[in-house]
Amino acid sequence: MMIDLLLNGLVSVPAGFALLTWLASGRERLAVVTAVLGAFATFAWSLWLAAAYDGPLGGSGSTIDVVWLESLDIHWKLGVDGISVPLVLMTTLVFVTALLSLVRYAPAVAEGGPSRTASLAALLLVIEAGVLGSFLALDMVLFFAFFEVALIPMWFVINTWGDPADGPARRRAATRFLLFTVTGSAVMLVGFLLVWGGADTFDITQVAATYTPSGATALAASLLVGIGLAVKTPLWPLHIWLPDAHSKAPTVGSVILAAVLLKLGTYGFLRFWMPITSPEWLLVPVVAALAVVGIVYAALACLAQTDLKRLIAYSSVGHMGFVVLGAATFTVGGVQAAVFASVAHGLITGLLFFLAGAIKDRYGTSDLARLKVLYGTVPRLGGVFVFAAMASLGLPGLAGFWGEMLAIRAAVEQAAVLPEDTYRWLAFIAALGVILTSAYFLALVRGMLQGGPMTPVTAATEVDATVELVADAVPAGPGAVAGERAMVDVRGLEWATWAPLLLLTLVLGVAPGLLLTPVADAAVSFLGGIG
Amino acid sequence: MSWVVLLLVALPFTSAALSLYLGHRGELAERGVAVGASGLGLALAAAVAFPHLGDAEPLGRVFASTSAAGPPIELSVYVDQLTAVMLLLAHTVAFLVQVYSLGYMAGDRRYPSYAALISIFTGAMTLVVVADDMWALLIGWELMGACSYFLISHHWELREARAGAVKAFLMTRTADLGLLFAIIVLGMRFDTYRISTIMGEIAAGGFGRDELWLPALLITAAVIGKSAQFPLHTWLPDAMPGPTPISALIHAATMVAAGVFLVARTFPLYLSAPAALTTLGLVAALTMLVSAVYALFTQDLKRVLAWSTVSQLAYMFAALAVGAYAAGVLHLLAHGAFKALLFLAAGSVVHAVGTTSMSAMGGLRDKLPDTFITMTIGFGALAGVVPLVGFFTKDAVIGATWEAALHGRLIWPWVAWVLFGSAVLTAVLTVAYSLRAWLLVFFTPAAAPATFDTEVPEPHEAPLSMKVPLYLLTVPTVLGGLLVAYPELVFGPGEYDLTHPWLAAVMTLLVALTAALVAWQWQRSGGRDPWHPFVLPHPAVDRIYDVGVVRPVEWLARMVRAGDRDVIDGYADGAGIATRGIGWLFRRAQTGNVQTYLMVVVVGACAVAVAAGVAG
Repeated sequence: MMIDLLLNGLVSVPAGFALLTWLASGRERLAVVTAVLGAFATFAWSLWLAAAYDGPLGGSGSTIDVVWLESLDIHWKLGVDGISVPLVLMTTLVFVTALLSLVRYAPAVAEGGPSRTASLAALLLVIEAGVLGSFLALDMVLFFAFFEVALIPMWFVINTWGDPADGPARRRAATRFLLFTVTGSAVMLVGFLLVWGGADTFDITQVAATYTPSGATALAASLLVGIGLAVKTPLWPLHIWLPDAHSKAPTVGSVILAAVLLKLGTYGFLRFWMPITSPEWLLVPVVAALAVVGIVYAALACLAQTDLKRLIAYSSVGHMGFVVLGAATFTVGGVQAAVFASVAHGLITGLLFFLAGAIKDRYGTSDLARLKVLYGTVPRLGGVFVFAAMASLGLPGLAGFWGEMLAIRAAVEQAAVLPEDTYRWLAFIAALGVILTSAYFLALVRGMLQGGPMTPVTAATEVDATVELVADAVPAGPGAVAGERAMVDVRGLEWATWAPLLLLTLVLGVAPGLLLTPVADAAVSFLGGIG
Repeated sequence: MSWVVLLLVALPFTSAALSLYLGHRGELAERGVAVGASGLGLALAAAVAFPHLGDAEPLGRVFASTSAAGPPIELSVYVDQLTAVMLLLAHTVAFLVQVYSLGYMAGDRRYPSYAALISIFTGAMTLVVVADDMWALLIGWELMGACSYFLISHHWELREARAGAVKAFLMTRTADLGLLFAIIVLGMRFDTYRISTIMGEIAAGGFGRDELWLPALLITAAVIGKSAQFPLHTWLPDAMPGPTPISALIHAATMVAAGVFLVARTFPLYLSAPAALTTLGLVAALTMLVSAVYALFTQDLKRVLAWSTVSQLAYMFAALAVGAYAAGVLHLLAHGAFKALLFLAAGSVVHAVGTTSMSAMGGLRDKLPDTFITMTIGFGALAGVVPLVGFFTKDAVIGATWEAALHGRLIWPWVAWVLFGSAVLTAVLTVAYSLRAWLLVFFTPAAAPATFDTEVPEPHEAPLSMKVPLYLLTVPTVLGGLLVAYPELVFGPGEYDLTHPWLAAVMTLLVALTAALVAWQWQRSGGRDPWHPFVLPHPAVDRIYDVGVVRPVEWLARMVRAGDRDVIDGYADGAGIATRGIGWLFRRAQTGNVQTYLMVVVVGACAVAVAAGVAG
């Protein structure tokens, strides 16, 4: 019975605190503190759940199953296994950092209205409840319902607290986000209904165990679910809503969007798409190919970006490509790679968006043409940024490496029924994407952190003479870039919010086994025959 | 003992974290941590290394592993003779570089991050040499690339530093993909990532000639990038804007040496795949000559040394390509000693005159007496003067190619002949460029100070912290030849065949002749540059990369950006009927957030209904 409490609690604790926050919204300070407490409570709860759950999915140690709407055959079925626990923990942690940052860095509201930070905090907790519910739901309709709960408050977040400087663009971004994702999830629901027509159940564990996808209807179902998830992930070319949404959202919104909401799509691919898809279909290599196109395309797009937040947003498209590539190999190794890359991306890109927010706070812009020589003005912030950039470009020893390398490995060692040569080429192209990713991050570091006005040092007579010992050349003062405001380096609260992400990036990079082992066990028991 | 190995890996990283944390909180703390930890590291390295030299059983241990699908990824160490000598080399040079940096980097505002990066660099190299799991090796391998990126761009205000750093990172990382795919391929083939197991199985036989050509060639690609061999040789000279002690570390004991180490570590694989050996040999033959020519003409002291590193690394690969394992590894050690010496001495020169251009040096013999003595020994070893270490190891390498050309069966004789010819010619060029640089720095009368840097004070000898490492490094440079005479001390009992007396005699004659010629030419030119200073165009391959890779990528990136803005945005907005329609509905719903939500729910419900109809 303990597990009932834990599973239901994980959804209702953030929901309850959202209610409390909303009730307290008359006194903003109190409300925000309540929300932070709620995030901490949820995090603690998720740790408890991670420690307490036991046994494979569907067993009584990890799953609850209550008939919810009997006439529609919909169950309130929640459960955890090694695939969802890492995502749950990552989610609760990221929400702690996001809400903590609200204590000081409340986003401004356009048109000079009251800041309404309490409402924002409450909405974030609602999103958290929705996301956690999606990660726990084992009933397809329940998954859809939680999915919607997570998506719709995000529209308010972007529309209300987004970039105050550019109202029309903000509203367009918010609307486009909603249109794409809601249409996507509607399509996904249709797919689920088609599966129900074939399997006679919405229970995904039963589907995974008994349903054999074959025939046109099954293919259509897989395609529809795939499209719905591909919008959310996003998979190229359905990514077009993402750069606007991520770059116009307030900092916490971008963090949540990138770190958590994208994972609904990737998790959906693992939990709800793989069991209803037969690797013998042409659809699977096509999905893998789209993922790889996304990797390269996003890296190229990043190379040409002129806005920091847009750049980070596009980089997400590439990282998600690795996740989908892993899933589309239909191997245990691919599932490992997908979960690892999802968690790593949550930590690293969450951190990157926090940093972008911090930079935007200080310099009033995220335009790369105007951001120069951050090493000279805010060296610690620059240091953290370069760490995050290294992690994101997949430096071994940090979390970003394992997911992507294992995805490439999985593509080389794809499931036996898949076309071998195709996948090997895809692996090779994905690896080139890794190089392009390095290239744009280095270009970013060079332009934003190091670059700027400097004295020429080339001696006129010799092409190859280098001069050194000019260390005390002082970069252009902060005034040149940011008007009169003095630049403050990383503040205490910022350290507090970033430190968990930094540390975990390092820990997972050094000890990947922490994640890989449970994920593989869960993948074997959930997906059975694969790999 | 195996825990000590683990500690040895962890120590530099801990010290780096401490250096960064203590930051600018006091000189004693930051300097004490950096130097103390590297000293402790050297002691631990010695404790691990000495019991495993000579006739000793290798130490292997697995600490942890993933229990998952596919071969497990492990935290495991393996210490054999090769690991032992590499540990000694890396930690000795790292320690001396840290000590040297006390003087060289005194007053640098970024000393904490500099010291921390050297520590991480050392830790990464340690990981590479002790790792028994290929993924762990890859971590160290790429971590070194990142460290060198940061250290090259230490003076990030300089355009050259920024560009050189990016170039180094991208070139080596691209080549590293070879190692990644080699790991994947070997893992599939052997169902393990443990290097000792894989090499043991290959050495035990049962594999056809060139059956494993693919992983061997993939590793070769990674090695070519890391060790800056043709056609990826251009990043190393461009890495020179980094602080000079870093160059000593990169060139002598870590980064580029790791390439040679990897070939030595996977030597059974190479022996089973002559295709890879042939590739390696041809690359080495070309690289050693080309880079020696560059070294001959460049006007920049550090670039002379950088090109000579590329050239000397090619010697090591030449030895390995003809199957002469001991000769290759010994030349790596010898080169580690004298190149660290040369770079640190060059640092001392740069410290004194404030530039790396040799045209601004000259006549420093009296002003920098200690630097003069030690650097002379270093140049002598590089040129292969009897009885310095370079003479013995170079002779061993050239002898090995000679033997292979006459009666080797591993690779085609013509490849060995090419290697032999190239090695002899390069030896001559090495004498020429070493002597020229030596003369230009220490003997040629100093040029009149140019008007624009009259503020440069009179050159002065370096502080003690910089001199001591120089003198310490002369010890192995002078006495290292003993190892060639007694290789059993390192590798254990066996047949080595490292000395070739008459070949050595001929080479010495050649060295003397070349030296005489250069000296005569120098005299004739009135004590100035012995030949016309001649700026070779920047390596032509760079141009090819620029036109063939960089520009197309930039063009594509612009296309993609434009495409995303215009074309795909077109369909997003052009699904515009929907957008506008719903936007209109939103507006109809007045200000209502609640109404919007309801709208969405209605749309969703409609979709459900339609679908239910279809499915039902």
